[in-house]
Amino acid sequence: MRKPRFSRFHFNLSIVVASAAWLFAAAAPAVAQRAPWERMEAAAKLLDVAAPKTDAIRLDLPAVTQDGSAVPLTVTIDHPMTADHYIESLHLFASGNPSPEVAEFSFSPLAGEARLSTRIRLDGTQNVIALARTNRGEWLAGAREVRVTVSGCLTQAGAFDGDDFMRTRVRAPNRLRRGEAAEIRTLINHPMETGLRKDADGQAVPERILTEFRARVAGQPVIHAKFHRAVAANPYLLFHVAPGQAGTLDLEWTEDTGKTATATAEIPAA
Amino acid sequence: MKKFSLSRREALKRMGAVGVGAFLAAGGLPVYGNRSHGGQRVAVIGGGFGGATAAKYLKRLSPGLDVVLVEPQKRYYTCPFTNLYLGGMREFETLGHDYRELSRLGVRIVSQTAVDVDAEGRRLRLADGDSLSWDRLILSPGIDFRWGELEGYGREAADKAPHAWKPGPQSRLLRRQLLEMPDGGTFVLVAPDNPFRCPPGPYERVSMVAHYFKTHKPRSKVLLLDAKDNFSKQGLFLEGWKENYGDMIEWVGRSNDGRVVRVNADKLEVETEFGEIHRANVLNVVPPQKAGFIADRAGVTDESGWVPVQPRTFESKQVPGIYVIGDATQAAPMPKSGFVANTQAKVTARAILADLAGEEPPEPTWTNTCYSVIAPDWGITVAGVYEVHDGELREVPGSGGVSPMGAAADFRKREAAYAEAWYAAIAQDTWGSR
Amino acid sequence: MRLTTVAIAVAALAGALALTLRHAGADPSGEDIVPVSNDRASAIAMTCANCHGTDGRLESTGIPSIAGKPEIVLRSQLLAFQRDEYPGATVMPRLVKGYTEEELAAVARYFAALKPTPEEPSQQP
Ligand SMILES: Cc1cc2nc3c(=O)[nH]c(=O)nc-3n(C[C@H](O)[C@H](O)[C@H](O)COP(=O)(O)OP(=O)(O)OC[C@H]3O[C@@H](n4cnc5c(N)ncnc54)[C@H](O)[C@@H]3O)c2cc1C
Repeated sequence: MRKPRFSRFHFNLSIVVASAAWLFAAAAPAVAQRAPWERMEAAAKLLDVAAPKTDAIRLDLPAVTQDGSAVPLTVTIDHPMTADHYIESLHLFASGNPSPEVAEFSFSPLAGEARLSTRIRLDGTQNVIALARTNRGEWLAGAREVRVTVSGCLTQAGAFDGDDFMRTRVRAPNRLRRGEAAEIRTLINHPMETGLRKDADGQAVPERILTEFRARVAGQPVIHAKFHRAVAANPYLLFHVAPGQAGTLDLEWTEDTGKTATATAEIPAA
Repeated sequence: MKKFSLSRREALKRMGAVGVGAFLAAGGLPVYGNRSHGGQRVAVIGGGFGGATAAKYLKRLSPGLDVVLVEPQKRYYTCPFTNLYLGGMREFETLGHDYRELSRLGVRIVSQTAVDVDAEGRRLRLADGDSLSWDRLILSPGIDFRWGELEGYGREAADKAPHAWKPGPQSRLLRRQLLEMPDGGTFVLVAPDNPFRCPPGPYERVSMVAHYFKTHKPRSKVLLLDAKDNFSKQGLFLEGWKENYGDMIEWVGRSNDGRVVRVNADKLEVETEFGEIHRANVLNVVPPQKAGFIADRAGVTDESGWVPVQPRTFESKQVPGIYVIGDATQAAPMPKSGFVANTQAKVTARAILADLAGEEPPEPTWTNTCYSVIAPDWGITVAGVYEVHDGELREVPGSGGVSPMGAAADFRKREAAYAEAWYAAIAQDTWGSR
Repeated sequence: MRLTTVAIAVAALAGALALTLRHAGADPSGEDIVPVSNDRASAIAMTCANCHGTDGRLESTGIPSIAGKPEIVLRSQLLAFQRDEYPGATVMPRLVKGYTEEELAAVARYFAALKPTPEEPSQQP
């Protein structure tokens, strides 16, 4: 038989490569150099323990992106969300932005899962860092590097449709299976002016951002977010509501001017 | 012509015998004179923009090298200008190119699909069961679709709601659907998130469909549902659409609920992230993409589905000896364009010849120019020059950029004419077509 | 239209002259000039082929064929593009700004040395 053995070799090789990369990412920073959250003042100040747990937070971000103005980010924390042990807060930082704070979230056990997606601004290649704290005071940490390349191919639009200012959208599932958490998607049209942009006449456009977002189900808090200017324009947030929490979902966004916008959705019973 | 190629190759060979390194030959190319590369084989998988150019330039640079091009199609149709075909500005046959000229240059053409790659044994397996050994391998397989990742959009759905993102029967199907559509109908295009083949492609496509509607079905509408908020040459497209088509084209970005999450190809309906249903008369879905399957078989893709490469040479980061070019690679900030695939091929051809000779790869340089035709007299461009800086690819600062906004009609008209000229030139440079 | 052509020609000549003088002046000391190898010039030239045809030769497409054009003309045109002094230019200024003046001069020399048509492989050693 002249038929060579194909592919098995590559399969093994890529596993080796992948796991080596993983080991390096997980272990090397702690040994060889300080972890990204130790190197950043804002994050280090928050951490009141020496060694956060580093194997429970996963950050899903593109390794390379050409559009730093809206980088999709999903944070998944492998941790129970039960009444007596749950993730209470999540802090997001971007190490290379003019101000490192991106957003903070507090969860109640009603969130069902410690997982959310949003879109953030990254001013160049840098680390995105997540720190989370449980209701028992334990800390978890994770970080991931994103390379942001500049390309003339993508022109930043900056065009903002005034008619839709603070228009909200929300989507809840039409039906749910037993034991299934409800996935909620929200979107609000807002420029999230950073205060760093100049208009056509070279004048600085003043900072104007949404600063808060709250979600309640049947009157009980699910998630409360604080946004900084590194949250991308038209803030997008995907989160969950725990199984068995049928009822009206109330959402409220607050601008730094005090102006608010609201939306509601019905979460069906399983 | 035939005679010339032969005598020229002779001339090049003779120059090689002088043996003083790279210097200028009759055609102006440096010949890697002191290294004939005789007996060494470079196999190239894929005869598109990247692969055909690589095969041609390898042979030109080192006539003694054994260059084998593996490509199942006898005639390759380009994606570039399929949009013009859809707009009625171009006959489909004018987009076809064959491999006769490459073969005349001495490239061996194997008209087959490569089904597997054994990196360790330096062999590849062909669909007919034969295998082929190589000293260095270039993959330029283009893209494959991630069928089913967009709910409801699998292979069969494409028979009703074509993608037309690989040319051939799909392009013809879409054209036929446009011809059969009643005046007053709606054409819906679903555009994917980055990265994907040809960043300006969806926007050129709706322009050309609008051109066809304007001239044949003026009451019709064009709706572009987009998974992104920013796109290539955005300002120029929006300006061009307004000037040429008034409000015929509506673009809905992600932040206005433009991201489609479900397709119903039977009903020609799509559903967006926040639950809006849009109905089309003609539905064109550009699905999410990944590197051509052979890249997976060769073990060069990572979890993104694309191929990470060494910036200087485009050798795979994961498997030494295999070089990957074109759409299959992660080469940001270079876009996935035919132009870029062509310049990547040239850089990689030189890097391979240097490697075979045990030398350092030469300093690379790549360029891109993407023409988009908005209307017959309205062309726009984005250009870029790329280099390696601190071990990463980047756009050379101060270079590149897009056509000016608000340019005079004459400027747009010349860029449209240059677009046609560019097509003829790159077809000549890549396949030797004339 | 005709005026533009004249303007280009004048600008081109002026540029070429300036360049010739500059190089003539700098040559003896050997400073100022970063040598650009022919290998590098050919690498850059290959990226031109994409629009100007393999080896800079094109048959009537509307984009000029550049093989065998006088070096001084090519060089001054490239430099005029780079300095935004070429009236009506479209994509060329954006591309040539990716290269140094010396590289452009070497590319001009490279294309000038080629035959405008490929008939005779004349130079046999
Ligand atoms: C609508 C549209 C418009 C476009 N317009 C432009 C434009 O104006 N300008 C521009 O520069 N680019 C344009 N592009 C992009 C351009 O088509 C691609 O970037 C280019 O084709 C990439 O070249 P490639 O060599 O990577 O892949 P391709 O050109 O796709 O070539 C891949 C080849 O590999 C072969 N192949 C695949 N797998 C195997 C295998 N296992 N064995 C053997 N052969 C195999 C295939 O048959 C194919 O021929 C456009 C694309 C689209 C969709």
